[in-house]
Formats: sequence, structure tokens, C-alpha cells
Amino acid sequence: MKKFWAVFRREYLERIQSRWYIFATVAGPVFFGSVITIPQVLTRKAKPSVEVSHIIILDATGTDLGLRIAQSLRGGALGDTLAAVVRPVVSTALPTAQNMATAEVVRHQWIGYLVIDSAAMAGADVYYAGRNASSVQDMNRLTAAVRRNVLALRLERVGLDPQRIRSLTDVRNEINADRITDQGRGGSAELSTLFAYLVAFTLYTMIVLYGNVILRAVVDEKSSRVSEVVVASVQPDTLLAGKVFGVSSVAVTQVLLWVVMSTIVYKTRGPLLHLFHLDIPVIPFPTISATSVVALVLFWMLGFLCYAALFAGMGAIVTNQEDATQAALPVTMLVVLAVVLVVPVLIEPNGTVARVASWFPFTAPILMPVRMSVTQVSRYEVSLTLCGVAFGCAASLWLAARLYRVGLLMYGKRPSLRELVRWIRAA
Amino acid sequence: MPVAVELSHVTKRFDRHVAVSDLSLTVPTGVVYGLLGPNGAGKTTTIRMLLNLIAPDEGTVRILGVPPSAPGVIDRVGYLPEERGLYKKMQVRRVLRFLGELKGLTGREADKRIDAWLERFGLDTPARDWGDAKVDELSRGMQQKVQFIGTLLHDPELVVLDEPFSGLDPINAQALKDTVLELRQRGRTVIFSTHLMDNAERLCDSVCIIAQGEKVLDGDVTAVREAHSGRSVAIAFVESPPPTVAEVLRDRTLVTRADDSNRSVEVELAPNADPQQLLARLMAAGARLERFELVRSSLHQIFLEAVGANGIETGVVGDE
Repeated sequence: MKKFWAVFRREYLERIQSRWYIFATVAGPVFFGSVITIPQVLTRKAKPSVEVSHIIILDATGTDLGLRIAQSLRGGALGDTLAAVVRPVVSTALPTAQNMATAEVVRHQWIGYLVIDSAAMAGADVYYAGRNASSVQDMNRLTAAVRRNVLALRLERVGLDPQRIRSLTDVRNEINADRITDQGRGGSAELSTLFAYLVAFTLYTMIVLYGNVILRAVVDEKSSRVSEVVVASVQPDTLLAGKVFGVSSVAVTQVLLWVVMSTIVYKTRGPLLHLFHLDIPVIPFPTISATSVVALVLFWMLGFLCYAALFAGMGAIVTNQEDATQAALPVTMLVVLAVVLVVPVLIEPNGTVARVASWFPFTAPILMPVRMSVTQVSRYEVSLTLCGVAFGCAASLWLAARLYRVGLLMYGKRPSLRELVRWIRAA
Repeated sequence: MPVAVELSHVTKRFDRHVAVSDLSLTVPTGVVYGLLGPNGAGKTTTIRMLLNLIAPDEGTVRILGVPPSAPGVIDRVGYLPEERGLYKKMQVRRVLRFLGELKGLTGREADKRIDAWLERFGLDTPARDWGDAKVDELSRGMQQKVQFIGTLLHDPELVVLDEPFSGLDPINAQALKDTVLELRQRGRTVIFSTHLMDNAERLCDSVCIIAQGEKVLDGDVTAVREAHSGRSVAIAFVESPPPTVAEVLRDRTLVTRADDSNRSVEVELAPNADPQQLLARLMAAGARLERFELVRSSLHQIFLEAVGANGIETGVVGDE
């Protein structure tokens, strides 16, 4: 046990004192923070999307629909001064008018052009071409303007007062969806999905990042030939355990520091956001029960240990770094498989694929938390899966220990699968 | 006499290749013991079995009175493997403390000893304290010293050195020899493997020569040399001898084997051949002699005799 702590201490202290680690720990939240803030700042800046109204409207309806749309695009709350220009055309001249408009957009005179014809009045799709065609926000605004004015015009035709029409058609409802579980309302559905993503990708990133740290550490120890001195003093199993737990603790420390830093940033976000002239957004956290948190942490820890052991075992069977990446490929594939399945699980969290994948010990640490965040998973199922993951974890450690015992003193060519099986039997 | 190491009928096979075959040897406490043999003779395998790095297929190993897997016994052994290495990115002191802790030393005790050793090996001088440097900032020679300190830091009762002289510069080699002799004075047991007979002859009390995994001979160095003596003559010429001399040396009725290094030759007399007769023949052939001496066989010769050129050849291509 004393020796386990010696190995553990070396792995832990040497790593958390490295410059790279300190940098990543500090830069991590800054990076995540900017990923969240910068787009918000940018969209806010671009929000007076002056340009939405800076378009040509080719109106072939023979009505004043074009003018009306131009009117509602202009002004509004944002008070654009730019206005859309309306060009009434006859249907037959539309192709020519479109060519001309395209040319003008190319010359940067306008951002785009909208085509409305008589079919639009009947409810058919309208056409838009422009530089901002991929902006969801801009397209939503255009669509809303077209719909509202088509409706208004139709109502006017049946004899309603334009003034009343305006007040009646100005409807801007959105849907805020909440999730309901057996415990009652479980918070915003959108937020749950986001949270699920966050959980999955943090674990994925940690596994891949620190799995490779362990892999490299073992291969380094082997290629620098330190391992022989070390295993002459410590049982390989103890060495493996010290290494795996040491590096895992480094990862846990990093995540904890991130959580602490994020909390501080969250608490002090007022002045921070004020710097960017942003409102303080209300960030509602999804409500998670204490048992879920315990389960989540357990999934994380066990999943991490499981993969760390596998990476260490793979490191023990090769001699140099070039072979290491290749040897680790099967393990990396397992993690990637779990990540690939995140989206299917989110789409159908109670489907067969989602269920089976969230039970399988090597994908469960990532996929079960995802399922738990978006749907109701019975405690019974969660506990059973946890047992499975614990078993997988033990199996990985056992396998890695065997590979370690034989592999650490083996140099030269990479062993074949058959040789590996013999190693595992012999150890 | 208490026994430090005892191997009895030990065999180790790798796949179809037998690395060590039915090897028995006894190392008394407090001696310097040489494990001699060509490359691939099974020296490293034998040493690894002593240290419980690999288990023998047959036979038993006992170190310091117990099997090497017995709890705690490995902490009383210091080991310097043939392929050496340290954590390159770690500070020298930290590496040494880690190695000490692995042998059961407390951090504080280790630190005290590290300081003494660094000073002794000239790694901590007023000009520069290399203990605070990272391992990869050190020269190769310094790294070897650090590794050697790591082997001895916990003051082991049994020190096992695998090819300790390979890659050492003359100064470090001398430091190593001095340390080995000092360990012996303090009653420690030192086992080292080598294929350099000069070092073995000067340092060892006892030797065991193995080839192709089997013991060829073993025992006290003086006794071994005594047993193989009297049939060997050392000759040195004043100047390069004429070809007629070479003819004399090729006469199998006089000489069974000549170890020729141009101006000096070690020959082994044929059975029943008279050294005086050889001297007369050499003079007649026109040799101008600087030295003609009946000698006890050197370990080198005994080694060659015992192992044979054939054994060495096989050894060179055989894998360790």
C-alpha cells in the first residue's frame, strides 16, 4: 500500500505541476466561457440586422403585398432606416427581373431579393435569394413578415378593418417546453438535452485526453527502460493501480477546478456581462435529484477508470509511441462508438438502440447519463447498469494487469493477437 | 557460511527456446560473485528470476533465505538492470526519492541519503547542484551515476548488477569498482553479470560461468584458476616475430591453442609438452623474447576454454 501511494503521488504531483496542466486548467473555463459568450456577443452586435430590410422585393402579385412586407421589415423595434425596394413586375418578366436583381446583389448593392407572385397569395412558398440565405434568424423574420401580410391582405379582402387586422395578426407566441418525469416537472427540455450533451462530451474529452496521457506515460516508462527498475521494486499490479488512480485523480482535480471556477464566474457574471453590454441572462439549471448526481459521478469515475486501465494495458504491449496510437485504436473506437450513439439516444431515448447501448458496460458511462438527462430511467435499471460498468471496470483492470505483468519487460515487435492471448494466459 | 542466493535446478523456457537449463548455484553472503557468460547465455534471465521479475518453470530460487516473492524481501535487494533508464522529465532528487520510496524508505530518510550520495559522486558541487536539474539535462555519465545511486540508496543487503560496466566511461567504471569493493567490506553481497573477464577476475571472489543456459563451471576464483593452471605460457616479443615463430606456435604437438595479439601471445601447452622445449624452438626460430612465463590461466582463458568459440558464436546470435 505504501508503494501504491509512492506511485500514485509521483503520477499525481508530477502531472499537476506541469505547465501544460496548469495552462489547460485555467484556459479551459476561459475557452468554454468564450465559446458561450462570443457568439452571443457577435449575434447581439449583428442583431440590428439592418440588412434584412436591405433587399429587393420583386412583386408579381399585382397587389400592394410587396409594399406591406417592405413596411413591416422596416422599422419595427429596431428602427431600421434602410428600406426594401419594391419592384412591381408582371409574372412573365420575372426571370429577367431576377437576373437583374442577382447581378445587383453580386455587386453588393443589396443583400438579397424576395420573389412573391400570385401563388403566394394562395399560400404557396415564396422564393428568396441572398447573401444571408443561411441565417436562420433573418429567414425567420422574412417568413413571419410574409405570412403576416398575406394574412392581413386576405382579411382585408373579406372586408375587415385594416387597423383591427394589424392588432389581431400581431401574434408572436413561442413555445417553452418543459419535461415531465415521474418526479413531476423536470425543467426545460431543451436544457436537458444541452446538459446531456455537456455530460457526454466532458466525459468523452476526459477519457480521450487522459487515456492518451496514461498510454504515453506507460510507453515512456517502457521505452526509457525505467519500468524494469520499477517492477523490480513494485508488483506490476500495484504499479498499474497507482498509475491509473494517479492519472484519474489528475483528471478529477481538473474537472473539480473547472466546476469551482465556473461557479465563481457564474456568481460574478453580472459585472462580467456588463463589460460586453449584455443583459444578465436567466440561466435555469435543470433540476437533478441527489441520487442522479451520485449515479452520474459513479458513471464518470467507473467509466474513466475502465478506459484508463485499458489504455495502460495497451501501452504495456508496445515499445514505442508510433505503435502506441495504433494499439490504442480499438479502445479509442469504443469511446467513439459511444459518442456516435449520443444523437440516436437523444432522438429516441427509450428505443432499443438507446437501451442496449446504455447497458453495454463500455458505452454505458457516456450513454446512460445522456439517457438519464432526457428521459425517465428507473432506479432499478440505473443500478443494474452501474453494476455492469463496475464489472467491466474490474475486467479491464484485470486484463490490463495481465498485459502489464508480461508486457513491461517485452521489447521488440508488437505482439500478434495470438501472442497476446498467450500472455494473458501465462501471466 | 550463510547463503545470500541459492538456485537449485532452475529451468526457464521461452516458447521453444530454453534460456536457462537446470542451473544450480550458491552465493555465500558477503562475497562479490560474478555471473559470466557470452551474450545470450541466460545471465539476464537468471537475474530476472532472482528478482521475481519472471518465474522459473522448474526449480526453486531463494534470496536472503526466502523465495523472492516473499513479502518485503525485494526491498532488501538493489538492482541495476542492463538496460538503464530514468524518468527524463523529472528532477534528479525527485526520481531518487521515488526510487527510495519504492524500496520502503520514508521521504525524509531518502532525502538525507540522496544529499550524501550526490556529494560523494560529485553531482552536488559548490558550482552546481545537479540534484535540482531534470534528468535529461544530465550527461550520460551523470545519468549512470544517478541510476547507480538509485540502486544503492536503500542500503540493500544484496546488490544485483546486470552488465554494470557496459557503456561506462573509465572514470565511472572505476567509481563502480570502488563502490563494489566498499560494499563487500561492509558485508554486503554483490552479484554482477559480465562478459568482461578482466573486471571479473579483479573483483570477484567467486564466479559461475554459464553458456547456452547451462552452468559450465563455478567456484572460488582462486580455486578455479588453480584447477586450470600450469599449462599456460605468456610470451612477449621485443619486436614483431618472424613467420617461422608462427609456425612453431601452430605445432599441435607443442601448443593446443595460441591466443595471439601480435607482440604478445598466450599459449596453452599440449598435454605432455615441455615448456623448455617450446622456449628452445622459439629461440631457434629467431624470436627475440622479452618475456617467457609459465602462468596460471586467466579467467578469460578459462572462459574461452570452457565455453569454446562455438558457444560464443551461438551466444552472439541467440536472443537474451
